[in-house]
Amino acid sequence: MRVLLVEDTVGLGEAVRDQIADDGHAVDWVQTLGFAEASVRTTPYDLILLDLMLPDGHGLGFLRTLRATGKTTPVIILTARDQVSDRIEGLNAGADDYLVKPFDLSELSARVAAVARRYRGNPSPIIQVGELMIDLGDHRISRNGLPVELTAREWALFEGFIQRPGMLLSRSQLEDRLYAFGAEIESNTIEVYVSRLRKKLGRDAIVTVRGMGYRLETHDH
Amino acid sequence: MTTRTSLQKTLGIGLTLGVTLLWLLGVTASGLVAQHEMNEVFDSALEETAQRILPLAVTDILNSENGAGNQKAPALKDHDEYLTYLVRDEAGNILLQSHDADPGVFSRTPAEGFSDTLTHRLYGVSAVSNTIYLEVAEPLAHRRESALEAGLALLLPLLVLIPVSLLGVWWIVRLSLRKVVDFQQDIESRGAGDLSPVVEEQLPREFEPIAGAINRLLERLHRALESERSFTANSAHELRTPLATALAKVQRLKTRMPDDYLKNDVAEIEEALRSLSVLSGKLLELAKAEGGGALSQSQQDLVPILAMIARDFEAQAPGRVVLSLPEREVNSFLDPDAFAILVRNLIENALKHGSRSEPVKINLNDNGVLRVCNGGARVPPEQLALLRNRFARAKTDAAGSGLGLAIADAIAKGAGMTLHLRSPATGRQDGFEAELNLACI
Repeated sequence: MRVLLVEDTVGLGEAVRDQIADDGHAVDWVQTLGFAEASVRTTPYDLILLDLMLPDGHGLGFLRTLRATGKTTPVIILTARDQVSDRIEGLNAGADDYLVKPFDLSELSARVAAVARRYRGNPSPIIQVGELMIDLGDHRISRNGLPVELTAREWALFEGFIQRPGMLLSRSQLEDRLYAFGAEIESNTIEVYVSRLRKKLGRDAIVTVRGMGYRLETHDH
Repeated sequence: MTTRTSLQKTLGIGLTLGVTLLWLLGVTASGLVAQHEMNEVFDSALEETAQRILPLAVTDILNSENGAGNQKAPALKDHDEYLTYLVRDEAGNILLQSHDADPGVFSRTPAEGFSDTLTHRLYGVSAVSNTIYLEVAEPLAHRRESALEAGLALLLPLLVLIPVSLLGVWWIVRLSLRKVVDFQQDIESRGAGDLSPVVEEQLPREFEPIAGAINRLLERLHRALESERSFTANSAHELRTPLATALAKVQRLKTRMPDDYLKNDVAEIEEALRSLSVLSGKLLELAKAEGGGALSQSQQDLVPILAMIARDFEAQAPGRVVLSLPEREVNSFLDPDAFAILVRNLIENALKHGSRSEPVKINLNDNGVLRVCNGGARVPPEQLALLRNRFARAKTDAAGSGLGLAIADAIAKGAGMTLHLRSPATGRQDGFEAELNLACI
């Protein structure tokens, strides 16, 4: 997933960014609401981790604006405000979950995974696509019962397909998923990664739609 | 015991007593004046009567000189004789008397002018060179009766005046105090946590300073509570953020540690930070509980909040929480944040110290009575009495801050409720139960 982290405390922001990146997600970290607003305007995020008390305003205002503009990107609030009224206010403003500081990073990882699954319409962490069994929580894939190892970048690309199974993804959409890892994107980068995924997951797992993009094949062969 | 007086009653009785007393003083003064005037009239009548009768009596006596002796003037018609007279010679022999005259009431020696005996008022006059005396007597009882009748005539209106005055004063006072009573009812009917200003425009001028003082007090209280809330929230933020950073950094460090020995050390630091986080959280909760923020300005339904908190615990300890909620809303002036802290502490306490083989039962009934009940060993009465104290724990192996029940109790007290702690739990031979009525405020 591509995750936007909005957190002004440097130490905490670094730790959260590293944890989420270790979970296999691409993280953009900003420290102000101004940067957060600019980021969501230009990049399609799969999840936003939002602190509330930020130097240039309150995170709830940003969240309300986000929802008012029709964006349904899942949002998890990370805050030191532990009152139930704050939590209700946050959820009413459109947050999907609310985590009170200090929290365990493993708890954050679990919440991130749960929210992501909810948005995919599949609350179970394990899904089956064709001959692939995919554990979204642990980022593990098995093909016909045999484990398949994916690199972080391969997983990031493949996750994009899982989130929209059977739907067409354009080259630029796929490139966006890799940019967050700081990867150098050349003209044939996507073809290279798709080719690697096909090798590991099966030749017909990802279908090329000439001139338009790629699609994850969802039916059995 | 204090005796509280009703302004309406005090004014009603006081004014009526005052009016009655003034009336009585007036009646007494009028009676005395009337009596004095009546005596003058009676005396004048006595004198006039004597002077008019004397010539007639002298003529009558002289005409019948030969047959002199006591003669009684006959009555022309039966009547009560208030004035009696006696005609005597200089030696005191009775020459003539009115038909009801009693010589005993007259003095032995005739005298001129006014005089009094114990029972009568007398007036004497003489003629024929002081050889014939006439005295007219009038009973003093007659005069007293007249004075009494006059006094009664003045007193009788009091029988009407007292109830009319009571009723009138009560009505006028009630009318005057109507706005004050409305003001009092407005204050009585508002929620215990309602700190909005009271309406003072309608009040009589004399009561405006009271309303003004109340409003100033409410405003100060509101500001104090707000700043306390804000301070607690800011303290929480300032304290939790560095703790969160430290904990997250330590957890990240742990994942990068290649050495198991060092990893154990880091894990110990992590555990210490976690304990510090819990303890600081509890202390902040205690600060809030012991502050003045246990009540909210308006009633709120506490059922969804209880459901939300129970869901959190169910996620942390699957299968160990059994929640039973009422079909209808349970509205209370208990502040939702304070309620959440209270319930969280009660459930945490039950989960930590209750039997792990039995679920914690959380029950909120239609009447607003909340019960959190857990299984486990019975808590001895002497320990039960100490559980509300800070840092007090029953004999248990479970780790805890020892603040949970102190926080819950402080919130309950701050909201004017009573937290009941029982062991064994109701209907059981063992276990522990905490109960409080949320709808009582």
